[in-house]
Amino acid sequence: MQLKISKSTYRSILKSLISVALALVVTSVLFILTGANPVLAYYYMFVGAFGNFSLTVETLVRMTPILLVSLGLAVSFKCKVWNIGAEGQLYMGAMVGTIAAVSLGNTPVTLLISIALCILAGMAWAGIPALMKTHLGINEVITTFLMNYVAIYFVQWLIAFPFRSPDTLFPESAQLPAAAILPIMVPSTRLHLGVLIAIFLAIPLVYLLMMRSTFGYKLKAVGENPEAARYGGINIKRTMLMALVISGALAGLAGFFEVSGIQFRMRGSLSPGYGYTGIVVALLGQSNPIGVAISSIFIAAIYNGAFEVSRVLNQPQGIVDFIQGVLIIFVLSSESIMRFLEKKGVIKL
Amino acid sequence: MPLPFIFSTGIEEGLSKQASFSGGSEIDHLSDYALYVRGISKTFSNGVVANNDVTFGIIKGEVHALLGENGAGKTTLMKILSGCLKPDRGEIYVNGVKTRISDPRKAVQLGIGMVHQHFTLIPTFTVAENIALVSSSSRKLELKAVEDKVRHVSKSLNFEINPNTRIEELPVGARQKVEILRLLCQDVSILILDEPTSVLTPLEVEDFFRIIRQLKNDGKSVIIITHKVKEALSISDRITIMRGGKTILTIPSSQTNASELASYVVEGFIPNLKRVPTARGEPTLSVKGLFIKGDRGEMAVKGLDLSVHSGEIVGLAGVTGNGQKELVEALTGLRKVEGGSISLKTCDLANKPPNFVINSGISYIPEDRMRRGVILGMTISENLALKRIDKEPYSKKMLIDKEALDKSAKELISIFGIKASDPCATAGSLSGGNIQKLIVARELTNAPNIVIAEQPTAGLDVKASEAVHQKLLDLKSKGAAILLISADLDEIMKLSDRVLIVFGGKIVGEFSSDSLDMEKLSKLMLGSE
Ligand SMILES: Nc1ncnc2c1ncn2[C@@H]1O[C@H](COP(=O)(O)OP(=O)(O)OP(=O)(O)O)[C@@H](O)[C@H]1O
Ligand SMILES: [Mg+2]
Repeated sequence: MQLKISKSTYRSILKSLISVALALVVTSVLFILTGANPVLAYYYMFVGAFGNFSLTVETLVRMTPILLVSLGLAVSFKCKVWNIGAEGQLYMGAMVGTIAAVSLGNTPVTLLISIALCILAGMAWAGIPALMKTHLGINEVITTFLMNYVAIYFVQWLIAFPFRSPDTLFPESAQLPAAAILPIMVPSTRLHLGVLIAIFLAIPLVYLLMMRSTFGYKLKAVGENPEAARYGGINIKRTMLMALVISGALAGLAGFFEVSGIQFRMRGSLSPGYGYTGIVVALLGQSNPIGVAISSIFIAAIYNGAFEVSRVLNQPQGIVDFIQGVLIIFVLSSESIMRFLEKKGVIKL
Repeated sequence: MPLPFIFSTGIEEGLSKQASFSGGSEIDHLSDYALYVRGISKTFSNGVVANNDVTFGIIKGEVHALLGENGAGKTTLMKILSGCLKPDRGEIYVNGVKTRISDPRKAVQLGIGMVHQHFTLIPTFTVAENIALVSSSSRKLELKAVEDKVRHVSKSLNFEINPNTRIEELPVGARQKVEILRLLCQDVSILILDEPTSVLTPLEVEDFFRIIRQLKNDGKSVIIITHKVKEALSISDRITIMRGGKTILTIPSSQTNASELASYVVEGFIPNLKRVPTARGEPTLSVKGLFIKGDRGEMAVKGLDLSVHSGEIVGLAGVTGNGQKELVEALTGLRKVEGGSISLKTCDLANKPPNFVINSGISYIPEDRMRRGVILGMTISENLALKRIDKEPYSKKMLIDKEALDKSAKELISIFGIKASDPCATAGSLSGGNIQKLIVARELTNAPNIVIAEQPTAGLDVKASEAVHQKLLDLKSKGAAILLISADLDEIMKLSDRVLIVFGGKIVGEFSSDSLDMEKLSKLMLGSE
């Protein structure tokens, strides 16, 4: 196979690999401090993620919401619009999808309509800060972030009062009707249709959008040099607005897939922070859809592998957050690290 | 697949191998030089050999001009000397002592400083803040001390500057002086100036050269890159010519002349501009009673009228900061119009978005090419398609046709002589002049109705400049209306059918090309008429 990879692509890949390596090294130190053998820990992490067929499937299931969210964030980060609000957009999508599904009951179009509405809800929730940015000049980092709290508490109120399940004691929504449940693709696993949609539909579509379409070109132009983009006749505001709304759409979809593929009810604990994990993944994948896909599976493996590590080696569950935190530090400083290594002559390209 | 990188041993290959000079005579000889390099080679990661076994020396206290066509490797060589780039091979001697220049800081310690081809000052910072940014030795920001130093150094060079003015408020000529000030505040003795005069007016150039002569009198050595042979002859003691990554010749300025130099720079170059007599047509661009606000809310253009007919080149002469920038931005949809009208034939253009202006067939070569004209991180073919990405053949149904993009890029690269390794290389890997060629190529194809050309040949070598002039004349003879804004009065006079003088946001005078009165023109430009 003749693969044409440019030097700058090599450099980008190397940058991400270095970040990952450094994060794992730092995590090793943590393992040593807590009395675990890091080599063993990583071994169990791998086993926990890919040790057998059903564990691998579980990792793919875990990957799905992370992948959807981070693909969307890649779109928005590409034009340097920093959507920190995927968590809120995810909750709103999940909630609206659930309400639609429960209200419609068992009809042939329940699933389709719920999916359409969860996407719209994510778009709308992202659209508010997008309009605030383009029309009022309010920084999206702050608005998207704060709207996470609004969304999460609003959802908790909805499932505690108006949409509380009549048949359970907890604040959660009613069970989705059978027609709104994503079908299982491999019997006796949790591999639902959403996983396949994410892998075989979302990745190619986002790839097409970002790498082949005129919109992708505009995203890049606006991100690289907004002044030149404006001069070139590109509508900067519209591009930014679309980017944010698209990332909201995918986050909303991720949320509803979690409900209709995994939990079957809307709960306040639906997401363990996938909206934030998506940020790490999108940055690690450098807003490239392929890079993001690979990073998603990596992070999902850490999520699931960490369960095994904590079970076998008696380590705290928090290592997932720890690795993510360390990773984001190294990803953000990877350009400087790279330059340093190049200057010292350790790396030559 | 090849390995993406190799781990080197950390030893500078080549440099450590041999110390080839041993005779005392050569050391004496070397110590005459403030800076001497030999065998310098540099190949970029994309395989472009920018410097190939270069030998170059600058004698203490001389002004040395470096000439060469676009992409010859001038900037690369100077970046190596100032520590911004690492050579693959070669030896560097500073005051006769062999050294390695690992980074710009080290270069400054050795007394070498560089003013880059494109501005590096931060526009929103003051003069003193910009200088403090690089020259503060301690961690504390000693703004007061820097201000005093700025006053002191600028006074010794006989020019007035308030250290508390923000850079964006200064005309380009003054900014260039601030760049020099910044070097002097770091106590450098060898100044490398990469095309400092390319956007200066003749008067500003004169003033700038006065400062360079003063530096020379103070014992500093100056390397100046320029594409204007006349400037090189007037300012320098010696001239070195680069071609294809090599220095091919060094001669004393007194022993050569302009036409000889031009033919050294571009082998066998003979000026040969063809003019087809063209009848002036109907007015294409008409501007009436235009009012436009400047960046700080002041009225920058105050009731300006002008028209450009088809088949005509109108030159706009004036000192920068008299509303030219605002006028051009309003014409291209980048700035709001407060009052008055802009029309293309019968179509109203005032306050239309840039996209509308582009689709009406208005091309614009912007002065600020790095910030506005090009997206450095995108490829050459993507940049060439910037304004037409939504149109066939570049895209169909919102999907980009990469082959069409590359095909058209290849054509433009060969027509406009852009020195590029590959249309898929980033625009940022082009030399300064080749970036300008890229912008010109994009703007002068597809038969524009109106061309607004701001400094269209800034940074271009003699041959490329002439090619652009020829292209503008060709477009004119095909009926385009061309508005030319240039600091280079020679260029304006060479091309324009009419010259308008702008002062204080208004047109204050008009000459036809055959009745040009230089003295009157200069007076009008300064508003003293
Ligand atoms: N960062 C880079 N990566 C790859 N190639 C580069 C890079 N910088 C310069 N080059 C190439 O090296 C060659 C020499 O470039 P350089 O900037 O030194 O030219 P120059 O003589 O200064 O030209 P100009 O008069 O246009 O400024 C050019 O062909 C250019 O494309
Ligand atoms: Mg150059």
